[in-house]
Amino acid sequence: MRRWWIVLLLGLVMAAAPAGAQARRIVVYSALPDLETSLINREFTRRTGIPVEALSVAAAGTLAARIRAERDRPRADIFVGGSADFHAPLAREGLLLPYRSPVAREARVSPAFLDRDGYWHGWYLGILSIIVNTERWDREMAPRRVPKPATWDDLLRPEFRGQFIMPSPVTTGAGYIFVAGQIFRLGEDRAWAYLRELNRNAAQYTPTAPGTITLLERGEAVVAMMWAHEAIGARRLRFQPLEVIVPPDTAFEIGAVSILRGGPNPEGARAYVDFLLTRTPQDINARYGFRYPVRADVEAPAGAPPFESVKFVRYDREWAIANAERVRERWTREIGR
Amino acid sequence: MGRLGVVAAGVEARRQLADPGLALAFVGGAAALGLFVLYPTVRVLLYPTLHDYLTIPHSVRWIQAARNSLVSTVLSTSTAVLVGLAFAFATSRPDVPGRRFFRTVALLPLFAPPFMVAFSYILLFGRQGLVTRHLLGLDVNIFGLHGLWLVQTVAFFPLAMLVIAGVLESVSPSLEHAARNLGADEWQVARTVTLALARPGIAGAALVVAISVLADFGNAVVIAGGWPLLATEAWFRLEGMADLRGASLVVAMLVVPTTGLFLLERYWVGRRRYTTITGRGGRLERPPTYPPLKWAAFCVCALTSVLVLLVYLGVVAGAFTAVWGRDWSLTLDHWHLASDRVGSLWASLRVAAGAGLVTAVAGILLAFLTSRAVPLRRALDFLAVLPGALPGVFVGVGFVLAFNRPPLELVGTPWILVLALAFWHLPLGYQAAVAQLQQIDRSIEEAASNLGARGLHLLRDVYLPLLTRAFVEGFTVSFVRAVTNVSIAVFLVSPGNVVATFAILNMIGNGIWGGAAALTTMLLLVTFAALAVARLAAGRALRPVPVG
Repeated sequence: MRRWWIVLLLGLVMAAAPAGAQARRIVVYSALPDLETSLINREFTRRTGIPVEALSVAAAGTLAARIRAERDRPRADIFVGGSADFHAPLAREGLLLPYRSPVAREARVSPAFLDRDGYWHGWYLGILSIIVNTERWDREMAPRRVPKPATWDDLLRPEFRGQFIMPSPVTTGAGYIFVAGQIFRLGEDRAWAYLRELNRNAAQYTPTAPGTITLLERGEAVVAMMWAHEAIGARRLRFQPLEVIVPPDTAFEIGAVSILRGGPNPEGARAYVDFLLTRTPQDINARYGFRYPVRADVEAPAGAPPFESVKFVRYDREWAIANAERVRERWTREIGR
Repeated sequence: MGRLGVVAAGVEARRQLADPGLALAFVGGAAALGLFVLYPTVRVLLYPTLHDYLTIPHSVRWIQAARNSLVSTVLSTSTAVLVGLAFAFATSRPDVPGRRFFRTVALLPLFAPPFMVAFSYILLFGRQGLVTRHLLGLDVNIFGLHGLWLVQTVAFFPLAMLVIAGVLESVSPSLEHAARNLGADEWQVARTVTLALARPGIAGAALVVAISVLADFGNAVVIAGGWPLLATEAWFRLEGMADLRGASLVVAMLVVPTTGLFLLERYWVGRRRYTTITGRGGRLERPPTYPPLKWAAFCVCALTSVLVLLVYLGVVAGAFTAVWGRDWSLTLDHWHLASDRVGSLWASLRVAAGAGLVTAVAGILLAFLTSRAVPLRRALDFLAVLPGALPGVFVGVGFVLAFNRPPLELVGTPWILVLALAFWHLPLGYQAAVAQLQQIDRSIEEAASNLGARGLHLLRDVYLPLLTRAFVEGFTVSFVRAVTNVSIAVFLVSPGNVVATFAILNMIGNGIWGGAAALTTMLLLVTFAALAVARLAAGRALRPVPVG
């Protein structure tokens, strides 16, 4: 038997040894897509001279679980992106470091977008909307003179039977915020009646939020409930035939950033939070991610309705976070999907 | 028997360990299993409290998921093993047309990240599918059980084929000749000789496939739709809810059926001896294959090959298509996007080579140990198969929980990924080695033993040359599965060493289908090149070893 190729393989394995750690760098766990993450980080390094090592996963829940698993020895300094609903429980478990960025005060960011105790800073916003695949609509719904859905109640139309999709409330933030929004809109009992009726139209509840957009792009459904910014991005960057309709009484997410307690470089982490609240990163996020900035002096994303023009339901975020488990349990029992 | 038997076994065990080499191997093997299999498992299982466990029967969704997992496992395993058997049979017969082609095609699904198989099928067979809608004009909903069944069959039959083929090819033709000379008809020969001798392979294959199906999340997450399954439920708990406790509960439920499968396999296979490599050698021509059998195998292989090639067609087409599914004009734009992430390809190769090597070596060593009367033989055997029962997310979380603190602080280094993947795939290397060992006649060892070979010398001089096939197959399977793995990588990847599948999954998550397809194509090319080098290097070792 020849031995040299085993030596070769061993050599390959040896070459896998980690590169030496850079001084002063910060490590960022990002729930934003690759593109926005790398553009924002490049700008941060240019401004501050602090190098960034980023891990970008399009699922905030996965990163939060990772942060929990690493609680004994945190690897990262920053958790950025994802709804505040993912950051708040981490704060409760004592995994976050409080900080009040002076930039938030200077820029007069609404206190509604900041954690009362300083554990997380909201720096972008996303709104829930109705999304239509126009290609299939024009072919199948328009000839039958079905009016386009304009309100949440329009989603109950019998024509949409088996043609509606949305992210699962059990497994995604988008789905849960939608269900909580319906509870705030209708009151608990009527909300569940509404959801049961909507369930008759639902083809499926996608386990991940991007899955809804993917299926809608593919024409596996005609109508969906999803983040407006995901659909606008799909339309403007990938030329998908999607139309965004923002109904009244919708809900929004606060995209947050937080500092991990016990991370290697808390000083750099604070600089990163300050930086995210300045104009440039919010502009990058609006331009490439189509998410709303929290700063009034940054332009809203192209193709999205002005944030002030949207009619929001009175969304009690603290109630929503505190009751998440109970609501999800009831969903599983009553909807069973 | 009884007491006397126990005492005798104890004496035998002590006699085995008297050999220093064997004792060292035993300590090393047991320590590795304890550290990298048992410890992370225990860490995860003890994460939820007893009270958490008691809530399981009250959760409708989890009961539902358990039932669905059972149904899909029975269906997908049956078809995957049948198809795998057909492929193994066809490729072991020189007179089946296209056997080389079939063997190559059968290995292809192993190179595809599982979500790619599912995605390609949605594209081809979904509501807007190229085949279903544009060619046939049908309105098909592929989501759900039937879609999952199809995808898992295509994704997992190669595992069955690899395990069965290793056994079928070593069945000596002389046995078939003997049966024929004794008056058996072709059907009887196939049933009582060929299939009967393939039984350890088929049982091993069914075990490996069933466990893979149970733990499969990549396909299920894309194509199962609203259908809850245990493996995906564990993932969603983490992905959507950051709920480590719930996830560890669900995967704890997975361990029950997989343990059952394990015991079933032991009982079924353990009943007969399957010695066919004897010291008395003799190479005969294979007799011509019974035509109906030959053509049945051929048809199954041909049909499956079309399904496999379609997956690749979809991926490669996507890499060159402007806007996937909408604007079919040719473009190279996606390749620019993908070339930004070339570093991830190298990370994948290094990690997978390390994992393959560790799997193959540990698999053979442990198979050899468990074939002797060493102490804790059953425990070692169980631990060597156990990782296959654990979903990737479980192993990933387990390794993070276990190795995030000194003395063994591995999180953040590539080593943790290498070790997690190597030990997760250990059952593949181990099963291949065990099936191969069962084929080797004890008389060869006795001869060597009479000539003075002892302990590890037996392994080195007698078994290793005969186990080269097991080594190459263990390495190959572990390597390719490590390259395509996502579920473990998601947890153990650190900012400094992002592997390619992880980058691809991110692109898919962000809807960058073209870039994902291009990077996948690159990953396939690099992987094939690396494998070609390995095969070339091992070529001499793969030649028939003179026996006796």
